[in-house]
Amino acid sequence: MTYVDDTNTRQAADAAAKFVSWYYNQINEGKGVSQSYVTNNETYKNAGHPPADICVNGQVCPTPEDWEKLLAQQREAPKATADKKHVNYVVDTYDAHVINADYRFGATQNLIDIHGVNDGVRMMIMVNVSGTVYFGVSKRSNDEYSVKQHFNDVFILVPNWDSLSKNSKYGKKFLIASQTYRAY
Amino acid sequence: MAPPTGPRGGGNRNSKPTARASRGGIAKHRAAGRTDRDGDVSMGGPTSGSNPPTGPSGRGTRGRGAARGASRGTRTSTRLAQTLKNYVGDGSRQPKVTLKILGVKQSKAASNPDGGVRSLLSFIERKADKDKKVVLGRGILEGDYVWVKANKDDLTSIMHLNGYQYAGANITIEETTEPFPTGSKISKEATDTRQKLLALLAKRYNIEQKLLDLSALGTDDILGNLGAIGSQSLAEKSFRAIIHVAGEQFKTVEEKKEGIQSVSLARNEISDVDQVFTLAYSLPHLRRLDLSNNQLDTLSKISKWKQEFRYLEELYLVGNPLTSLTGYATEITQWFPCLQVLDGNVVRTPQEAAEALKAWTPQPLPQLPSNLRDGENNVASIFLRSFFQLYDHDRHALASQFYDTESLVSISATPEPGRDADWKPYMKYSRNVQKLGGSRNPAVVQRLFTGASLIAELWRSLPATRHATLDQPELWIIDCHTFPHLADPSGQGFAMGLMINVHGQFEEADATENLYGTRTFSRSFILGPSKPGAPHPYRVLSDQLTLHKWTPRAAGTAPAPAVAAVPLAPVVNAANVASVPAVAPAVAGMPVLDEATRAQLIQELSRRTGMNAQYSELCLSGTANWNFDLALQSFEEQKANLPPAAFTATA
Repeated sequence: MTYVDDTNTRQAADAAAKFVSWYYNQINEGKGVSQSYVTNNETYKNAGHPPADICVNGQVCPTPEDWEKLLAQQREAPKATADKKHVNYVVDTYDAHVINADYRFGATQNLIDIHGVNDGVRMMIMVNVSGTVYFGVSKRSNDEYSVKQHFNDVFILVPNWDSLSKNSKYGKKFLIASQTYRAY
Repeated sequence: MAPPTGPRGGGNRNSKPTARASRGGIAKHRAAGRTDRDGDVSMGGPTSGSNPPTGPSGRGTRGRGAARGASRGTRTSTRLAQTLKNYVGDGSRQPKVTLKILGVKQSKAASNPDGGVRSLLSFIERKADKDKKVVLGRGILEGDYVWVKANKDDLTSIMHLNGYQYAGANITIEETTEPFPTGSKISKEATDTRQKLLALLAKRYNIEQKLLDLSALGTDDILGNLGAIGSQSLAEKSFRAIIHVAGEQFKTVEEKKEGIQSVSLARNEISDVDQVFTLAYSLPHLRRLDLSNNQLDTLSKISKWKQEFRYLEELYLVGNPLTSLTGYATEITQWFPCLQVLDGNVVRTPQEAAEALKAWTPQPLPQLPSNLRDGENNVASIFLRSFFQLYDHDRHALASQFYDTESLVSISATPEPGRDADWKPYMKYSRNVQKLGGSRNPAVVQRLFTGASLIAELWRSLPATRHATLDQPELWIIDCHTFPHLADPSGQGFAMGLMINVHGQFEEADATENLYGTRTFSRSFILGPSKPGAPHPYRVLSDQLTLHKWTPRAAGTAPAPAVAAVPLAPVVNAANVASVPAVAPAVAGMPVLDEATRAQLIQELSRRTGMNAQYSELCLSGTANWNFDLALQSFEEQKANLPPAAFTATA
């Protein structure tokens, strides 16, 4: 029996767990998520990375801020009372695959030397999230929704090199390079 | 551990509650009773200090209470202690047994308000074990028996009381596996009332119209017999009961929403909707409400419902004094965004209602057609066509053609709670990282299938499927785009990848019955360049299948967003490869087209551009090389230069 190093698999699962819990919490709270896209990361920008590819229900959002605008538009309900105005995402399942264990775009040579391909750090990960989104609910309960939809979000995450450098203040370990969203 | 230090030893506090029985001699006159009980709580160790479990009512009663017999405080506080203990979590919850105790009916205690249950249980708790505290659960009197749950550890001590005398009667205790009679918490009168209310509902529910007719309840025989008429508070209570019982008849919110769409409360002498407010909570999705011929005299009498009934379409208030107020209709219309008919008059069109509702509740984002940005070669359409055809007919060939040693596959199924059986073939493979609880669970690694041979093996064990053809765009949503920075399999450098996300449905064969059922799914692929020598220039790096119960709604069929229903151009593209044999799918280059497909493309282009068949064919066969998108593009460019003959119908 050959020994298989599953560090990458496990690290990717944990990274996905952290990411998913953070991301949907932000959205449910009406807080920003644009800081988690490569588009707004200086290191990636300077290295010439194209903006994150964001496709929402078939519509391409040029910037993460456009996606935030769509989210805000979705929450818009001026006449609703507090118990009927929220949009709440509930994750039912997520899964993660490492699609490139030797990701190196934008990394310094030093980072490439420190983190080997089996260390679960320099990974490009596809994260697939599915769940239910409730429209018109209170923060406490999803019972009295006006509409309920299924959502599926597929992310491609890449390492946040800033978080790996020694004097990093910014904790997010991965950034979004691509997001494909559908809700129906 | 030091040997037991006798009755007074404080050192036993944190040891196991060998707790001296409170009846034990001297101890009962001292503070031992308290020690005893505290000892019980403090099993959890240090937390005991912060638990105030006994409180004034229980403190110190144990000793004397025991001597006198049952005391309310004792049972309450010991139960509290038990609950706290469970809550604090000193180890796992103990297994419980169910006991049936016969004899209380014959005892003198039978005349107690609770039928003697409490005193019987106190008696048993007291007598069962003189060295150990025994705590019973809440007892229920059902027929001649008292039902109660007890810790399994205490069973032997309790059973030795079998045949004991209690308040002048012999008691028989038996262990049982019969289910604990939960329903019996409802008294006989309540059950009777319930039956009567159900009879009332049956009489007043119209299944065709989905109407619950609660008009003129004051003249109802059943309610009259129940004595619910005459007193205002009783009438309100019985209304709440009716609404509650009605709601209970439906298992889910959706069923209720479907089942009761109209309610009539006409002729009920309602002077303020406060009296029937519950209706708004029980049936928030109500579509038609009849409040006619009541005594609502000002708008304020109905304003409590202002924020409710967002989906109310018809409302009848005729026969109420308030209808003569000026501006009444305008005001009411504003309160209910979906209201279209008020007292028989149209106040909004359905379109206006949909528009008005937007201000009242968050709205889903519009749904656009498939978004295919897969470069120039239609790789996604070509791949998907081959993929689903092979997945349905020859999974082994599929694995060997498009998957290699580095390919990853996983499946996750998201059943509704309690419905795992429906998903049986998939559950054991389901890699729902959320449900598995993170990477510490070995299943996170085990359920990730790596390499073509393992993948083929997995697929072999899954049920046979039939996917709809991609020619039915209404059944599919496909988004894809290219992205940079995959590792190039040849060594150094970056390679482009293609992300494809598919939503669709397939029919699945039931292995035993050979019946087909429909499942809906989302599947995402990452395609990347193959290693040298592979059958295709690209391979599947990652394939994640999610099974769920939601039917994807392609654009155009969606109810709310008004998106023009245009045929999905990319799927027409996919028609290019319709005739390509499944075993050797053409991946790049010019696909071979049969006449039928060509004719189809010509027809489609003609329909989209208005050109006649001849020019459409010219356009397609020219530089576009039968690529529909390119043909459409070149039409747009050349439109101005085209002769009028291009748009006249050919004879």
